[in-house]
Amino acid sequence: MPPSAARTSPARRFGRRREAAHALAAELSKLRSQPAVRLTLIGTWCVHLLLSFAFTQAEAQSPGGPQSWLDIGLASFPYAQAGFIVLGVLAACSEYNGGQLRTTLLAMPRRGLQFMAAQLALALWAVPAALIVIASGIGLAAVLADASSPLDAGRLAAALAGATGALALTTLLGAAVGALLRQTLSAAAVMLGLYFVAGPILRGRIALAKYLPDAAGIAMWQPQSAQAPHTLAPAQGALCLILWTLAALILAAIVYRRRDI
Amino acid sequence: MRVWRAELSKLVSLPSVWVAVAVGLLIPSIIAGITASAARTAIARGREAAAGIDTGYQELAFGVIGVIILGVVAISSEYFTESEDSGGGRQITTTLTAVPSRLRLLLAKASAVAAASAALSVGAAIVTMTVVQSMLGEYAPALSGQDIPRLLGVVCYWALTALLSFGITVLVRHGILPLAVLIANTSVVSVTYLLTRLTPLANYLPDMAGIRMFIRDLQDSSADIAPLVGGLVMAAWTAALLAVAAFVFCRRDA
Repeated sequence: MPPSAARTSPARRFGRRREAAHALAAELSKLRSQPAVRLTLIGTWCVHLLLSFAFTQAEAQSPGGPQSWLDIGLASFPYAQAGFIVLGVLAACSEYNGGQLRTTLLAMPRRGLQFMAAQLALALWAVPAALIVIASGIGLAAVLADASSPLDAGRLAAALAGATGALALTTLLGAAVGALLRQTLSAAAVMLGLYFVAGPILRGRIALAKYLPDAAGIAMWQPQSAQAPHTLAPAQGALCLILWTLAALILAAIVYRRRDI
Repeated sequence: MRVWRAELSKLVSLPSVWVAVAVGLLIPSIIAGITASAARTAIARGREAAAGIDTGYQELAFGVIGVIILGVVAISSEYFTESEDSGGGRQITTTLTAVPSRLRLLLAKASAVAAASAALSVGAAIVTMTVVQSMLGEYAPALSGQDIPRLLGVVCYWALTALLSFGITVLVRHGILPLAVLIANTSVVSVTYLLTRLTPLANYLPDMAGIRMFIRDLQDSSADIAPLVGGLVMAAWTAALLAVAAFVFCRRDA
């Protein structure tokens, strides 16, 4: 084949595609080989199951009549967020431990593509992990609580999809903040402070706080109720959280491409 | 005393500690400002009779996130592995070369963390109470002699929380786990609060017991614990955790 043929567009497009596939495979294998990622996921899962168990027991004793088991199973969702935030931050910041990033960029000098591949790989990990965590929590509540209450399949599917999506988006937001700050502890402190201190406190005091990522994530699976009329609808919450995540990722990508390492 | 001064100077030189100081000062005062302005409108319009008894104190309970960060980074920075360029070393080896007695080192570090947290809590209490007083004006609950033991309770709560996060970090040698668990538990509806609905014994967990040192109007509390008893329970938890941490720290390879 003459050299000029290699530059024709179909062959070049094929090369690009193969390059992207290789980058994605490399990022997936990097995530798989990190003990911290595995430990975080297993730890999050165990804590989530324990908390679901505790919530089910607490609900059985509450005088106000039991809630539906779907609500009980999702009650520990906010704490699962902490685990997925840590997952995102760890995945992003592991590049900055001991110069791993230099090796990465030596193998894959196109930073934009490498960044996208890393985020896609993280999402491919986060979505099934979130689904397992959420579904097992709901399942445990269904087994332990009085499961005789009628099952609304549509509501179950919507809650499952919403909660899984919220956890996965939270992971990516954590990764974006991690890539921006480059330090595990600072990024974790910022994200956890936003999700667990600033967000919940502001929610009751400022109307605009419903657009913060933590409130938007909860709105993705929680049905709007009469007690809290100022929350977003699930679709609005999803849109809001996607916008936050995209904005953070784009900012992180721009900074990442320009920064010295 | 020289070890203590060395540890204090190490703390002051850590950038994360200054972030912790900023967080500890800003979070309670900003939230107190928002709450107080909302309360002022509510009182002025006659919807509420007076500001709550816990105005200011409730916000100081959230500011504890600052000393959680402080307690964690004080020890996790020792175990942070430097990059290959700087030899891949860890601060802890240098520290232990300078101070070979591990118990002395840990005591000095813990007391430096406690002192820094106490100082931070005094600063945060002054700022927060000033914000509450100035925002609420004539509606502000008057600060009287009764507030002195409560403010002392805030100082104890912050220092003991810092020591708890310090103790956990000594055990796990990495900051992310204690940071995630403790910050998640500072939330408005904390895990320990939910556990109190499961069993009244959970009221004796360190944060639920300790908070009674200065919060008077605890929502649907399932146990009655006096402020002093609450403080003692939290101190006992902290002492037990630090004892385990010291035992492990003295026995383990650095």
